[in-house]
Amino acid sequence: MGDDIEHILTNKPISNSIISKLQDLKIYDQVLFFIVGDLSLDGHYNDSVLAVTKDSFYSFDEKHKDKLMHISFSTIDKAYIKRFYGNAIMVIEKGEEKIDFFRFTYAIAGLAESSIDFMERLKEGQTLERALDFIGAVFEKQLKTCPKCQRPLVREGADCLHCQSKGKIAQKLLKYIKPHSTLLTISLILSLITTAMTLVPPYITKMMVDEVIPNSDKKMLLNVVFILLGAYVIQYFIGTIRAYLLRVGGDRIVASLRSDIYAKAQYLPMRFYDKTSTGSVITRISNDTSTLQGFTMRITQEVVVQFFLLIGIIVIMFVMDWRLTLLSLIPVPLVVTGSRIFGKKILPYYRRIWRKWAAVSSILTDTIPGVRVIKAFTNEKKAIGKFDRYNQEWLKTDIESAKITTLFPHLVGFFVTLGSLLIWGVGGKWVIDSQGGLSLGLLVSFISYTAMFYGPVNFFANFNDSVQAAVASAERVFDIIDAQPEQDLGKGKHPDRLRGKIEFEDVDFSFDRTKMTLKNINLTIEPGDIVGIVGTTGSGKSTLINLIMRYYDNYEGRILMDGEDIREIDMEFYRSQIGYVQQEPMMFHDSIFNNIAYGSENASVEQVINAAKIANAHNFIIKTPDGYDTVLGERGTGLSGGERQRVSIARAVLRNPGIMIFDEATAAVDSETELLIQEAIERLIAGRTTLMIAHRLSTLRKANKILVLDEGEIIEAGSPEELLALKGKYYKLIEIQAMSSKLQKAKEDEKFE
Amino acid sequence: MNTPYIEYDNAMITRKDLTHVDVKMYDGRLFFNLEPRRLFPISGLRKYITLLDQDEKEVAIIRNLDTLMEDSKKAIEDCLDEYYRIPKILKIIEVKEISGNINMHVLTDKGERKFEIWHRYNDIKLIHQTRILFRDNNDNRYEIENYDNLDKSSKQKLSAYV
Repeated sequence: MGDDIEHILTNKPISNSIISKLQDLKIYDQVLFFIVGDLSLDGHYNDSVLAVTKDSFYSFDEKHKDKLMHISFSTIDKAYIKRFYGNAIMVIEKGEEKIDFFRFTYAIAGLAESSIDFMERLKEGQTLERALDFIGAVFEKQLKTCPKCQRPLVREGADCLHCQSKGKIAQKLLKYIKPHSTLLTISLILSLITTAMTLVPPYITKMMVDEVIPNSDKKMLLNVVFILLGAYVIQYFIGTIRAYLLRVGGDRIVASLRSDIYAKAQYLPMRFYDKTSTGSVITRISNDTSTLQGFTMRITQEVVVQFFLLIGIIVIMFVMDWRLTLLSLIPVPLVVTGSRIFGKKILPYYRRIWRKWAAVSSILTDTIPGVRVIKAFTNEKKAIGKFDRYNQEWLKTDIESAKITTLFPHLVGFFVTLGSLLIWGVGGKWVIDSQGGLSLGLLVSFISYTAMFYGPVNFFANFNDSVQAAVASAERVFDIIDAQPEQDLGKGKHPDRLRGKIEFEDVDFSFDRTKMTLKNINLTIEPGDIVGIVGTTGSGKSTLINLIMRYYDNYEGRILMDGEDIREIDMEFYRSQIGYVQQEPMMFHDSIFNNIAYGSENASVEQVINAAKIANAHNFIIKTPDGYDTVLGERGTGLSGGERQRVSIARAVLRNPGIMIFDEATAAVDSETELLIQEAIERLIAGRTTLMIAHRLSTLRKANKILVLDEGEIIEAGSPEELLALKGKYYKLIEIQAMSSKLQKAKEDEKFE
Repeated sequence: MNTPYIEYDNAMITRKDLTHVDVKMYDGRLFFNLEPRRLFPISGLRKYITLLDQDEKEVAIIRNLDTLMEDSKKAIEDCLDEYYRIPKILKIIEVKEISGNINMHVLTDKGERKFEIWHRYNDIKLIHQTRILFRDNNDNRYEIENYDNLDKSSKQKLSAYV
């Protein structure tokens, strides 16, 4: 890269050959910014370059004639980004001619779009300085990423939420272990005592065989039995206390881990859930935390205990007979090497098993709540078939892994047995030959210690297995805990109240970069406006609301609330100021009272009743046997669609928000219920800025402003009267609906006659 | 809606530009500037290809690409190849895990490429045990057509992640 061009905006270094070419053409000094692409026009990976001056585009690509194409802004009729699947092309139209000008993957699409914006701004008469400010902001945003992991930062200079919390799994788990360290330490001390007690019986065996029985010493026998009794009492009594303390500690750790994941899951942005199934999140909260609980217990307790046991036994064995001890160590290197190999082999299996299990869980979370639909379509057999298929896939993967997981411990067991055979053989010979002072009691006792010695060896050999399972679980758990939450929750500006002025400035939004869902949205809504949003399905109406709700913050342009960028306002406060009534209101498995008071926990009984009255819900509630105490089934079963909707309106009334949003609130109810809901809505929206999405245009009779969306763009905006006079899309929609109402009425009359 | 289905020799398809074709139906109807798109981009690469006009309205559907006449088939294949830029991974050069993200350096049929995967459980999909789809942090797609056909070293590098 030429050092002298570092002042020019670019997303990547520019090659010297391109700089030389620009210098030869004497346009190098005029370049305002570069965009380095990653595909050539024939779709191969290549560093193509778009250079932009104040009046031209220059595209450097192997496939252009002379590897360069120049187009002056003044000759361009239209320029746009044509998005394909995983790549896009900047297309330029000059009269009848369409030119594929610059090709790139989605990594570059945002910058390429901004270059077209830059040209259009200049053509519309904007000053070069302002257009360059815009480009500067786009580049700055593009480069506002964590230098380590490249994830976008919450704001410039902010700590990367992802990298900040990344570290060793044990370190992360330590956060959950620390608060219970006293309990775990006591438990550990008790463990060491019980472990020490387990070392006593084999030694007593030696005494019995070598001294008590040959000498027929009954007094000594009694002493030995009492010593053994004491050892067992201590072992089992302390063991019981230890097991209880350990269970309490473990449960507390897993409970706090679960709480943290659940809490984090609440604050994750919608885009996380767009890509992650709820089943997999549930599996992480339930199963993976349990695996981590087991692992935590192992690293805080068993590792220490088994280590001390191992050392204790080795010391005793060396004291008893160093030659036999060396013999018993022979299988150890084999076991350790095998363990390393096993660890590498088994981790991918654990990941695969988890994937399969997450798929099974996803079916459960989809189908069990949707059991009514399954029954309605008599689809039970297919549902069972699909579940069986996924379950079989899990089974197959689990069985595959079982081959390794069962083979390894048995191999270890086999080598261990071989080790003890050596002791039996060699030690037995020495006893028979009376060599080296080895007594029968010592041999029997030594063999007992050898069996005990292989316990910790086995534990450490298999420890890798539980480490790998825990690593796989921890990855998934910390994938949520470390995920970037919704931006700046609990921080940001906190005005006294929102007046309700909403402005969209050049807003573009795409869910997955394959297609722009909202394009070039510019609008102003004054406080107290009642705005109807209409358009065909998929036109972007709900997405517009999603952006106002701040479910997605990754859009281009700005959305202002009372003049403040909504991304700068404290999200908790911001959302508390908006009442949102959806087409299918979410009800919880709780009483009607609590469902209305959801989000307004301090509301008094009378406030709740009053809200229900405003929402036309009170009358149907009092007719139910349990009144406000009626407990709804999951997702509100027990209430009709219209009743659920009125409960959700009551919920919104209680929050007393400054802004109200209705997303197809009356779409799924009959005409009579619609009237009741409509009445409730009209009471609720008085004096508040209101946005209403509606298919039935009759619901918008109170609206003083209408927005018509089509393919992500606002194609008409104005008062209903203005739009009717315009005779455009809104007019057509009104005509179609009027015609369909007439037809409906005629049919009903016909039936009546 | 009576969208015509194209199969065998009931239409002649010629390539217009990078991603567009012209179609002449056996009954004489002519359609210009149609863009072929897969209705099943993951599960049915050669079946049910829709042809969209400039307003993205469906004009016809190809039932099965393999039943078409050779020239027509090639025209559609070439367009689809340009539209669906899913480089086929031929060799894994390096896989590294940095801060929980998977950084991959691969050789594809379109050249060498380095990319990053943020969510291993969402962005790596194993289909029918042998086909693997990857999605990078910029929503670009990559594919291993058949895991079994990869060389031993590539399989080894990838084994911990799939």
